Amino acid sequence: MAPFIQTKGLTYAYPLESSGQIVALQGVDVTIERGEYVALIGANGSGKSTLVRHFNALLLPTAGQVWVDGLSTSQPELRWKVRQRVGMVFQNPDNQLVANTVEEDIAFGPENRGLPPAQIRARVDEALQLVGLVDYRTHPPQMLSGGQKQHVAIAGVLATRPSCIIFDEPTSMLDPPSRQAMLDTIRRLNVEEGITVILITQSMDEAALAHRVLVMHHGRIVMDGSPSAIFAHHERLQALGLELPFPIQMARHLKRGGMSLPSTCLTLEALVNALC
Amino acid sequence: MLIEAENLNHTYALGTPLAQVALRDVNLQIGPGERVGILGASGSGKTTLVQHLAGLLQPTEGRVLLDGIVAHRRTPAALAQRRRIGIAFQNPEDQIFEQTVFREVAFGPRNLGLSQAEVATRVAWALELVGLNPTLMGGRIPFALSGGEMRRVALAGILAMRPHVLILDEPTAGLDPRGRQELLRRVKRWHQEMGLTLIVVSHNLDELARLVERVVLLKAGRVVADGPARRVLSDAALLRSAGLDVPHSVALLHALRAAGWPVRTDQLLPEEAAAEILRVRRAMEEIR
Repeated sequence: MAPFIQTKGLTYAYPLESSGQIVALQGVDVTIERGEYVALIGANGSGKSTLVRHFNALLLPTAGQVWVDGLSTSQPELRWKVRQRVGMVFQNPDNQLVANTVEEDIAFGPENRGLPPAQIRARVDEALQLVGLVDYRTHPPQMLSGGQKQHVAIAGVLATRPSCIIFDEPTSMLDPPSRQAMLDTIRRLNVEEGITVILITQSMDEAALAHRVLVMHHGRIVMDGSPSAIFAHHERLQALGLELPFPIQMARHLKRGGMSLPSTCLTLEALVNALC
Repeated sequence: MLIEAENLNHTYALGTPLAQVALRDVNLQIGPGERVGILGASGSGKTTLVQHLAGLLQPTEGRVLLDGIVAHRRTPAALAQRRRIGIAFQNPEDQIFEQTVFREVAFGPRNLGLSQAEVATRVAWALELVGLNPTLMGGRIPFALSGGEMRRVALAGILAMRPHVLILDEPTAGLDPRGRQELLRRVKRWHQEMGLTLIVVSHNLDELARLVERVVLLKAGRVVADGPARRVLSDAALLRSAGLDVPHSVALLHALRAAGWPVRTDQLLPEEAAAEILRVRRAMEEIR
């Protein structure tokens, strides 16, 4: 079977108002398989958001090609099919909510696709269940907390039944408990619902939760591997403007002090177990 | 400047069915040169509180005094006090509107009625402070800059007013790791060199631990703790009861303590926590 997402020589240039252009992506070749949980990291301006906007045809390549589920985004008649397969959740939940109640907001996508009312109802109910917002169905989304609003945004995407959800810094405006709830939901959607997840994040501790980490720099993917492989390259990451997840930072401090530890503790629990 | 909140209460949409209490009986004093973190879960009243401290809101009850002057009044004395406070809201770059970096940073000083030469001096000084070269950057269009650069331009516009108090609401949100570290270093330097009072709203506990010496913890609009950062940020039960997490280092030390290691749990920074773990480990080996 073809990979779920594939890019070949993907290049994208933003035109500048005055003259010239900014090249945001420079010949990206990447393959993402069905069911993967991929974290995408890199400094501000490295091209992360530009890249993922090609995965649901919000942007189209200046050169090169993108296929989603075998469908080329360069073909206008296939773009809606691509968007049905790949949903997006953005940083600021306030910019994504459109309706007066939670359930109307979630119904927005299926309604736009012209589904019969009974099917819309079923999808909204299922999405509410999946994000744990059944009790809030009739609430106005504006009155919810930031974390709850983000869950409404996820439910809205889920109701369109995508195979893949892209999360573009979904936790950066949330407080720690809402952030944790968000990460738990993302993991559950990946493990239990088989949804392919692409998570853009500035938190290395969040990236460490994924199966695979892609590192971007100046419009290119410069590192690609498991979290433990990627975060073993401390100097390289630092040169790219990134840092290490807390457990790995701590393990380095301890090693420098003469303590031996496996360098692969990606979570606090793993670190505590290694110490005790 | 001495900032005092006295019995401060704030209710949004008072007298309507949508009324929401944001602050309840807040009493607080912040002295000149202090570095204070305001901490709390989403909706705990952090942003409302700092807007009051800057004199931008009218209290439902109680008052805020800036060097003894009631902060929100429409009097020349109150205005003069408010001008000594610089406040950067969340994502301050969203408020950039001028055509060039120079004009953006010059907007505030111009409103003070300063001479052109004085405005130019202030702009150059402020851009240097945020690490942007005035000659190279002054003529640039702000919207063509990176997110991190735009944030620095917005902060330069605030610093150009030569505030005595700097209030930062989630200053590093949305920045990449390097941008965060650089901004934190700069903020510390401004505090030292300008003698600023620093008030920082954040839910990034690891950052607060590096930046502030005192933490005010809010829960549902009330101050539930106010004390040294080391004490408040290492009190896991208190932080969790306020709907927050604990700093990574503190979480690790608490987990080790639960596993029988006699470690102190008030080491907030990774390097401090590592030193504590190494110390205890050595002690444990010697006993063996």
